[in-house]
Amino acid sequence: MPVEFVTDYLAIGGVLFAIGAAGFLARRNLITMFLCVELMLQGVALSLVAFSATWRNYHGQAFALFTVAVAAAEAGVALALVLLLFRQRRSLDVLWWQELREPGLPLAKVPEQEPVDEEPTEPQWPKLPPAGLEPVRKRETVDVG
Amino acid sequence: MLDSLVNLVWLVPLASFLAAALTWACGRWLGRMVWIPCLAASAFGALWSLLVLIRVASSAPAAVLVDVFSWLQVGELDVTVRLLVDPLSSLMLFMVTFVGSLIVLFSVWYMAEERGYARFFAEVALFLGAMSSLVLVANVLLLYVFWELVGLCSYLLIGFYFTRPSAAAAAKKAFVVNRVGDFGFAIGLLLLWTLTGTLHYDQLLGGDSPAINSLTPPWITLIGLLLFCGAVGKSAQFPLHVWLPDAMEGPTPVSALIHAATMVTAGVYMVARFFPLYQASALATGTVLAIGAFTAFLAAAIAVTQTDLKRILAYSTISQLAYMFMGLGTGQIVGAVAAIFHVFTHAFFKALLFLGSGSVMHATHGELNIWKMGGLRRFLPVTHWTFLCGALALAGIPLFSGFWSKDAILAAVWEAEHGGLLVRVALILGLVTAFLTAFYTARAYFLVFWGEPRDEEVAEQVRHYAEDGHPGEGQQHGPAEPLTMQVPLIALAAGAVLLGLILALGTGGLVPFLGHSFGYAEAGEHGHHPLLLVVLSSLLALAGFAAAYPMYATASELPARLAALFRPLYVASSQKFWIDEIWLYIAVRPMLAVAAACRVLDTLVVDGLVNLVASIPAVLARVFLRPMHSGALQFYAIGMLLGLAVIVILVVLRAS
Repeated sequence: MPVEFVTDYLAIGGVLFAIGAAGFLARRNLITMFLCVELMLQGVALSLVAFSATWRNYHGQAFALFTVAVAAAEAGVALALVLLLFRQRRSLDVLWWQELREPGLPLAKVPEQEPVDEEPTEPQWPKLPPAGLEPVRKRETVDVG
Repeated sequence: MLDSLVNLVWLVPLASFLAAALTWACGRWLGRMVWIPCLAASAFGALWSLLVLIRVASSAPAAVLVDVFSWLQVGELDVTVRLLVDPLSSLMLFMVTFVGSLIVLFSVWYMAEERGYARFFAEVALFLGAMSSLVLVANVLLLYVFWELVGLCSYLLIGFYFTRPSAAAAAKKAFVVNRVGDFGFAIGLLLLWTLTGTLHYDQLLGGDSPAINSLTPPWITLIGLLLFCGAVGKSAQFPLHVWLPDAMEGPTPVSALIHAATMVTAGVYMVARFFPLYQASALATGTVLAIGAFTAFLAAAIAVTQTDLKRILAYSTISQLAYMFMGLGTGQIVGAVAAIFHVFTHAFFKALLFLGSGSVMHATHGELNIWKMGGLRRFLPVTHWTFLCGALALAGIPLFSGFWSKDAILAAVWEAEHGGLLVRVALILGLVTAFLTAFYTARAYFLVFWGEPRDEEVAEQVRHYAEDGHPGEGQQHGPAEPLTMQVPLIALAAGAVLLGLILALGTGGLVPFLGHSFGYAEAGEHGHHPLLLVVLSSLLALAGFAAAYPMYATASELPARLAALFRPLYVASSQKFWIDEIWLYIAVRPMLAVAAACRVLDTLVVDGLVNLVASIPAVLARVFLRPMHSGALQFYAIGMLLGLAVIVILVVLRAS
């Protein structure tokens, strides 16, 4: 691949990274935030592969493969953690997890909904909140379980 | 064969050190048999050093240098572990190991009921190794090392019953008081090294041109006085004698071994070792003589009114050590030889007296007040007879060992022709002390062993003990005087009775032998005992002993009447002339005040400054950093991203 094309790939990688970062900062749903992190990772992996092709060696590809492998492991751990966090508070809202602040400081933002305290009668699964345009069908949430 | 005997003399201290390590490592595993390594090492040492002594006595040249290994060699500094085997060190080595092994044997019985049996033997073995190294090394630096090591052992063993506050305090006192003396000692040794450039005795004292000859007289005097500071501390001379009576808080075998027979004589040994240096300075020898004579009298005067058996013996030790310094203070070879002779005989009879008092202590269940005892000779026959031998030797009764050595010292003082007033005063003090010594020794002996029991409780205890043996918590109740304690007592008693006769008459005196110690000039004429002095001191000793008989052997009003008659003197003596109190007010209290002031300074000023500096970041953090720690996950993420952005922008700007 000629050197001059690398900028195109880098641009796509940068855009992926930026979208991921923006999503991570803007969204409060833990699963969405996690998906955004994956997006950032893929942006970086794409840049690595582009560099690898440019310089005609396998360094970048090797790193990209490592990134993918690590991302796979991380996804397993992260989703398990998200599930555990959900079981604690019955909510995916990241605002429920602000315990690491200095003692005495007020909450940066108070979550709107109270988490459910009582024991559920049937198993509950984390739900993604609606995003984008409201679908035509009268469904409040999209089932990911 | 014979030379390897001397060349391997380092096996003697090594055996003791190994025994200490073994006891320390396997004490728990050895259980009640933990005394075996210590006793084996000391018995081996005694045997080996006896052979070395015989070898040295029967051969010329008298002094052999043994290089064991080279420890350090940095530039000009050369520290070789070199041992000097000469008449002086071989005699001291034999005394340490022989008396040491007898005391260890006694301890096997004496300490049997104590907790810390293993600790005791480990520390005693360490002490024996350090002490035999101290007398052997031919190196000023190593002398100091072992000097401190025996001091450490003394500290550890005085504080053997460390759960008792008085024992802990006594150990601390001994250590601190010795620091005062050792401060001068260290400076003296450093001066010696700085001015001569060598650490080794053979270069300092021996050869055709000993290094000390190159020193100017003021330096010699200064070094002599500074070294004597160390001796004053270690050998408990006025004004640093205050630690020794308190050191009696340790177990009695320790008092016998460390605080009577061996460690406290290290000061005498050291002055005798550097005797050529002292001979070169009239001021230094004069100081030694003055301190010796004064301490001898002072300690004897205190001992006369003490009521604690071990403290009487402790003051007596101070007084006898002072006699030895008187001998050294004459500045003549005969005086130095007499001093070492007295070290040797004193080790036997004083160790014997201490072991005897240990036996008495067991019988009375720890009671040491002689006014509560009485009539013990019926219950403890072996202790009584051996104690009597020791007491007669200490009192200087003719033909007993103490008589010969003490008389040799007094004769040396008498013969110090050019002495003038100081020598005359010293001689008179020495003679008065001879009388007092006999008196207080007899007083203690009669009060403990003669007459009727004075205290019902103690008498009951003794009777019970004589029938059933040990009244300890242990199950085994041995006989009151088993063989393991009889053997050391009888061996030491034999020494106390016969040693003087053998050494003074049998071998033609010690002067031809010890006079060839390393660096000693030829002794002129051999010391002869002036008849008048011999008669005078014998009469004084007999009179002292006899005077105590009517006062203390039977119930008598005489002591109380005398005490009332000379009330100020009696109070001064029984209060130890308030020397402890004087120290308290001139040294201890001012030091405590300085320490308190330092503490205030430290907490207010130093700590205040440090805390002030430390509080600045804390305040800054509270104002600026704390609000940022909101716990909101995405706030941190923004921080990271912004930081990353800044770095990337900087890199890009630099690159373009």
